[in-house]
Amino acid sequence: MLAARTSASRGATRLARSFATVVDSAGVKVASVDYGQPTSAVTLLVKAGSRYQTKPGVAHALKNFAFRGTSKRSALGTIRETELYGGVLSSSLSREYLALTAEFLRGDEEYFVDLLSSFVTSAKLTRHEMAEIVHPVIEAEAASAQEDPATRALEIAHTLAFRAGLGYSLFAAPHSHVTTEDVKTFASSAFSKDGIAVLGTGIEQSALQELVQKHLNASQLSGSGLKTSASSYYGGETRVEHGSGLQTVFIGYGTTTPSAELAALSAHISAQPSLKWSQSTVPSATGLTAGTTVQSVYLPYSDAALFGILVQGPTSQAVKQAGQAAVKALKDATGSSGLKAEDLKKAVAKAKFQAASVSESREGIFSVLGSKVLAGSDASVDSLVSSLDKINSAAFSKATSALVKAKPTYVAVGDVDTLPYADELGL
Amino acid sequence: MFGPLGFSLAPSVRRSRTLYKWIKPIADWYANLAGYRKMGLKYDDLLVEENPEVQKALTRLTPREAYDRAYRFKVASLLSVNHKPLPKEQWLPVSEDVRYLKPHVQEVVKEVEERHTWDTMEVRRK
Repeated sequence: MLAARTSASRGATRLARSFATVVDSAGVKVASVDYGQPTSAVTLLVKAGSRYQTKPGVAHALKNFAFRGTSKRSALGTIRETELYGGVLSSSLSREYLALTAEFLRGDEEYFVDLLSSFVTSAKLTRHEMAEIVHPVIEAEAASAQEDPATRALEIAHTLAFRAGLGYSLFAAPHSHVTTEDVKTFASSAFSKDGIAVLGTGIEQSALQELVQKHLNASQLSGSGLKTSASSYYGGETRVEHGSGLQTVFIGYGTTTPSAELAALSAHISAQPSLKWSQSTVPSATGLTAGTTVQSVYLPYSDAALFGILVQGPTSQAVKQAGQAAVKALKDATGSSGLKAEDLKKAVAKAKFQAASVSESREGIFSVLGSKVLAGSDASVDSLVSSLDKINSAAFSKATSALVKAKPTYVAVGDVDTLPYADELGL
Repeated sequence: MFGPLGFSLAPSVRRSRTLYKWIKPIADWYANLAGYRKMGLKYDDLLVEENPEVQKALTRLTPREAYDRAYRFKVASLLSVNHKPLPKEQWLPVSEDVRYLKPHVQEVVKEVEERHTWDTMEVRRK
């Protein structure tokens, strides 16, 4: 019994630490973790998120150029050959990174690493692909993002909070005039040695390193890297008419120093019940009517973070009520008296669970640890969890009271005539 | 061989230097004699466009090229109604008679062929 327990705990530490080795291979950072999964995934992380874009929508266009024609194979060839291997290709864009992911069966890594690296070394980015494939997809994605009030509220909140840089929208406007020339210029500076990391799950570190050395020739990555100025927080208030969907209000604060305390605050405010079909007992959930949700949002970036509360409900009245309760809970938590010791303990435990559970999923590993790999810092889940362990009530109240001292970011999306104004919620 | 661009011996002629030297003047003379330059047209304007490959290639022209092509057609049809070619100084200069559509057609044909290859391939277990 005892022996079994020690081996299990040893396994857990090995699991948590195993992503910590980052090796420069052919000038590109490579990190891999192998839990013995039946499938492998390789992600190419490129520092080409929307905050670096030189023209609105160019990062979104580059994301949709992924897996199109390269000098090695055409777009059709890429798809058909991947189908033969039974792989899944996907690309995603965040404000800081563009991630190209290939998921496949073990043993097919040679083809997929070659496929991913050919995008950064020899993508053709032709005009007809832009007109025939990329542009319709951009338009559809932008239109569906516009339809969702929560996405819209977060996009607007970023713009209000950070203006340039992090404030740039992830989506190209439906009428955007991004040309292939713009995308080529953006891509050629983005595809630099320092701006690319290769992350793998379900693949041996040494095997991935060898493949990267073979296929990703660093001399072809001649870009100088994209630069952006440091973020600063502004804040503000805006109201946007939105016809369909839930009434949405976003109450947020930004900071230029992301910290573990804010993750704990986010866990404290979130009114998502821990038990399904039940009402949460946190103060922000008092008086929640059916169909109304209060979610906390904590989005850390490399040099800034946006913390906020997203309130959604079927009617403006319900949103107003829930918003007032959420703001009161936020004020109480960040006030001079601070959080009660057991509440802080609860919040830290919840935040720790959230931080630890990201390492369960592939997307979680890539999104949370990818940025650390690229920055060359300690890329282990341990470091995420241990920083939460160090939280004490003094540091918590210091970090959170500094957060709410700034001007709030307030966004109302929906029926602007009846949705509450920031002062009506008590901000 | 019988693709949308038609049958051509030009590549093999161009490969032999002697043959090229002999045939080039005749080809130039023939191109002038054909008379399309007198109507302000380019050689690629004469390409039969009633097939899917060329139709697709036409969508890939730059907006400027597409506009110029339409303009040349308009001028040529007017001249045809009048039964009178352009005045000599307005004939299309040889330097401007470039194959602006051919590369696009070739690319589309290559894509169609590739699709056919993928559609009809046989998968063998190694």
